[in-house]
Amino acid sequence: MDKKYGVYICTGCGIGDALDIDTLKGVVEDEGLPVKTHKFLCGKEGIDLIQKDIEDGVNALLIAGCSGRVNCDVFRFEGCVLDRVNLREQVVWSHPRSEFPALTEDQVDDGIHFDRLQMLAEDYMRMGMAKIKRINLPEPYQMEEFSRKLLVIGGGVTGMSAALDAAGAGYDVTLVEKSGELGGYASKMRKQLPIANPYDQLIPPMADTLIQKVEAEPKITIRIGTEVARLAGQPGDYTVTLKKPGERIEFDVPYPLPPEMTVDENGKELDQDTLMERFREYNEGRRDILTIDPNGEKFGAVVLAAGWRSYEPKEDEFAHLGWGTCPDVISNHQFEEMAAKGKVTRPSDGKEAKSVVFIQSPGQGDDKDFEYGGSVLSLVALKHAKYVREDYPDDGKAFIFYQHMRTPGLSENFYKSTQQDPGIFMTKGEVKKVSKNGDSLVVEADDTLLGENVAVRADLVVLALGMVPKTVDEPVVNMAYRQGPAFRDIDLFKGYVDSNFICFPYETQRTGIYAAGPIRRTMTIEESLEDAAGAALKAIQCVECANRGISVHPRSWDMTFPDFFFQRCTQCKRCTQECPFGAIDDDEKGTPKPNPTRCRRCGTCMGACPERIINFADYSIDSIGSMVKAIQVPSEDDYEEPPFRILALVCENDAYPALDIAGLNRFTYSADVRFIPVRCLGSVNVIWIKDALSQGMDGVILLGCKHGDDYQCHMIKGSELADIRVKKIGEALASLALEEERVAQYEVAIDDYDKIPKIINDFVEEIEALGPNPFKGF
Amino acid sequence: MANQKMIEPDLDFIKEIGVLGGSDLKKCYQCATCSVACPISPDNRPFPRKEMIAASWGLKDRLVGDVDIWLCHNCGDCSVRCPRLAKPGDVLAAIRSYAITEYATPKSLAKMVNDPKKLPVLLAIPAVIFLVLGFILNMFVEPNWLNFSPEGDHIAHHLFFSTWLVDIIFISATIFAVTVFALGIKRFMADMHQNALAEGKTDKEKLEIKGFLQALWRVIPTILRHDKFVECTENNERSTAHMMVLYGFIGLFIVTGIFFVVLYVFGIHGPYSQLNPVKWLANVSGVALVIGSGLMIKKRLDKPEQVSTYKDWALIGLAMALGVSGLLTEMTRLAGAAGLTYFLYFIHLIFVFCLIAYLPYTKLAHLVYRTLAMAYAEYGGRKF
Repeated sequence: MDKKYGVYICTGCGIGDALDIDTLKGVVEDEGLPVKTHKFLCGKEGIDLIQKDIEDGVNALLIAGCSGRVNCDVFRFEGCVLDRVNLREQVVWSHPRSEFPALTEDQVDDGIHFDRLQMLAEDYMRMGMAKIKRINLPEPYQMEEFSRKLLVIGGGVTGMSAALDAAGAGYDVTLVEKSGELGGYASKMRKQLPIANPYDQLIPPMADTLIQKVEAEPKITIRIGTEVARLAGQPGDYTVTLKKPGERIEFDVPYPLPPEMTVDENGKELDQDTLMERFREYNEGRRDILTIDPNGEKFGAVVLAAGWRSYEPKEDEFAHLGWGTCPDVISNHQFEEMAAKGKVTRPSDGKEAKSVVFIQSPGQGDDKDFEYGGSVLSLVALKHAKYVREDYPDDGKAFIFYQHMRTPGLSENFYKSTQQDPGIFMTKGEVKKVSKNGDSLVVEADDTLLGENVAVRADLVVLALGMVPKTVDEPVVNMAYRQGPAFRDIDLFKGYVDSNFICFPYETQRTGIYAAGPIRRTMTIEESLEDAAGAALKAIQCVECANRGISVHPRSWDMTFPDFFFQRCTQCKRCTQECPFGAIDDDEKGTPKPNPTRCRRCGTCMGACPERIINFADYSIDSIGSMVKAIQVPSEDDYEEPPFRILALVCENDAYPALDIAGLNRFTYSADVRFIPVRCLGSVNVIWIKDALSQGMDGVILLGCKHGDDYQCHMIKGSELADIRVKKIGEALASLALEEERVAQYEVAIDDYDKIPKIINDFVEEIEALGPNPFKGF
Repeated sequence: MANQKMIEPDLDFIKEIGVLGGSDLKKCYQCATCSVACPISPDNRPFPRKEMIAASWGLKDRLVGDVDIWLCHNCGDCSVRCPRLAKPGDVLAAIRSYAITEYATPKSLAKMVNDPKKLPVLLAIPAVIFLVLGFILNMFVEPNWLNFSPEGDHIAHHLFFSTWLVDIIFISATIFAVTVFALGIKRFMADMHQNALAEGKTDKEKLEIKGFLQALWRVIPTILRHDKFVECTENNERSTAHMMVLYGFIGLFIVTGIFFVVLYVFGIHGPYSQLNPVKWLANVSGVALVIGSGLMIKKRLDKPEQVSTYKDWALIGLAMALGVSGLLTEMTRLAGAAGLTYFLYFIHLIFVFCLIAYLPYTKLAHLVYRTLAMAYAEYGGRKF
């Protein structure tokens, strides 16, 4: 586009009081751009001023004033390239004149003194101008083929409910169920936990009602006895091959080579041809991921509701509880099966089980519950205790020994009603042993609320074994993705499918596939119903965003997408491998094949690419690189003791807002640091760091999210990858006789705004101790 | 299973505690707010938290012999602060009620006393005894001990029911009550000591009579001063009513004792002159009894959230009936209404019989059990 520039400086909010605005305007004019000031730019008068210029043809705006994170709705101008210069939060509010004094008349141009604050503002103006010159308006990614249809995997309560919700919203749904019938576990229960006020009594299972509704819904196609062989393509344009469980077909998804097969006997990486050969051998009879099944069904997005199975203890795992040796020690799952069929009895002799002990925690010096547990298992134990009392109202006794009794929300009412039953006995305590005594069992427990160690006679003992998500056993969705058919790194979550269950529920690490129900954490039917609605809405959001060519999440409405300059691609496959979302596949030669609707626009590929051929319309190697180059680095030619210059690349999800909040709180920090927001630290290309150091800047600091097992990175892997890359660059620096310490990465959460000034100041001090960059002035 | 105690919940016990006023028992979730709130609970093994779980687990044996249930004065501080409205105060009252029945013999009579439907039968028993025994003895003694038409203008109740007849019946009833108590106390003391040993609530290995009696002597002032009662914050004013009723009974007991001695040693019959100090004591005690029990009735009616069971009403009602019938008998006598006063005297005698003979089964048995428990706590070093 032909750009006509307009630069606007707001002098309100203390900006005009602290800065020399005329000099600042001079900086803009030196670049040959027109500049206007206003004392209240976000007011009607200010907006009219800009609006009038736009009518006169201005289409590339640089607005200097408050942070780009505020007043976004006010400074929104359709069809214009826009950047905001943060003179308020990160310049004047965080650098008071009392600490950063202006120059007196004598000090001006004396070659000794300089005005740090003015320099800071001027650099930000230059950086902003450099940026708007290099960014462009994005154009949406348009798909050739498009489907709005949703695929729901799993015909249990969650899946049926998600299908009904999506159908209710007007979307066609195919509901795939592996077993021969709909209903899942919920249809095999005697009774169900309450799902509505007053939440205090068991209700008849609702699975049958849901099955009738699903069968009556014309928008839902039911496919029982079916599983997904492969899911190829991307959101809005998935091609799905369905098959009978256990069947072997050519469109079964191929698996990537295990790491040990990708190297030769000396541990050296194999070349592409050999790798492909091995891959074909390894996946014989299966088509490559890029081969699209001509008979496949088209879908737009997927709701994954494949559910769970009961935990299967290892041999001798619970030997102290009689598991495996006493036939009358069973799992809660087996108990439910028995109760659904008839009265509660002893498996050993079929006699009535009138004294039943429910064990919620395996004990052995640990207060942990059984694995894959959670509040559901507390509620299930309460439910089962009620079964015992239903079957034997006069003399039935149910004991619950727990370490945690969790009844969140209004399920507390259910706890209360259970508690009120005279035949139900509960205590916290550590179960030590279950042993045989005659034809019954004795359960021993220590540290109970009864104030002593107790033993109880039992006909039946029930262990609260957990709900293992199906994704522990198999990939389920079978994605035809180069990174493999399964979800990556879900072992961090014990196999539950989730990226971040607090911030981004339903979102998996694969855009377009939304998890609901016990596949993402243990949950009750009530919670699953809510989950189903959430995941269905998320899937709909995904389809509609894909159709508009915008990102779904977390950068919702971002219209940019990675643009590859393939002529210079060396097929190194780093982008394919490092993309946290598996958005990039590659062909036989290793050339990347991007799938824009799978992409979350984090820019990790841009940071990874050694050839720097991946860019976004408004965020590129060049746009950030030019900003870095726009920073003036004073040398000894300018001042006797020139100030240090440090570049800070700041994650815009957490660290950048934290900086703004620090400014809002008037926390002060060094004025020698220049912040550049980045989409994710994963998008930081090391060239920027190298450029900064080679132009004489003294250090580079990266501020991003926590990484590791309990990562907080919005893009899952971004800050972790940046950390690896920064460590590698350290080696390169050493070869240039630069200290490795000049580049560092720190973890900052959004609520660390009170710590951020210290992090910055400490780093500046460290750099000052190292002395100026020897390349300064070259 | 060396250090494990086998427990077997008693479902009937839990249900019975519910009937006796502890129906909210199961709401307890063991937060122990009650034990903290209680102004008289000791630091070592405080109550009533542990009693709440023991009761909700139906551990009857652990509770009936528990000294702590008697240390509680049911002031209600715990019930007011209970976050689950489990009413620990009322639960302990229910357990005490259960314990009274548990230590009483015969059980059939105990059950009758606790059954409102059997009240007419219980009242009829003394009426029948008086009449039947009177008629039988009339065949052998002269003048008749039961005389429906006493001669002369002088109104004296012994002319109607001879003191001999009254005393034969009341002394027998007293012997009966004492015997029932003796049997109960024997088991009660043993259970209480064993329970205290098992739960680490005592520093005494053995229960020695001498030391126990000394402790009993030491706690009597505490009881008379209502020291524990006044520590209560929620129902502090209740101690006044209780004190009036207690002192009323003590006063009347003293008066009865004096009458007894004067009659059998000096042969002087009542009624005494209104100027006689003994008569003053009798009148003051009677009035105290009526006012005290009246206050109790009012308190219970004002506080519907506090559980009031048949046993509670039966005892307060009896106290009130005793006071009212006694005073009315006296007043009608002074008014010269011979027929009416003789009838009221008969009614009064029936209530006195109920008081004495049914004592081990009613709530009033706390007079014995609580005193013994407080003495035991004093003896065993349980600082409450």
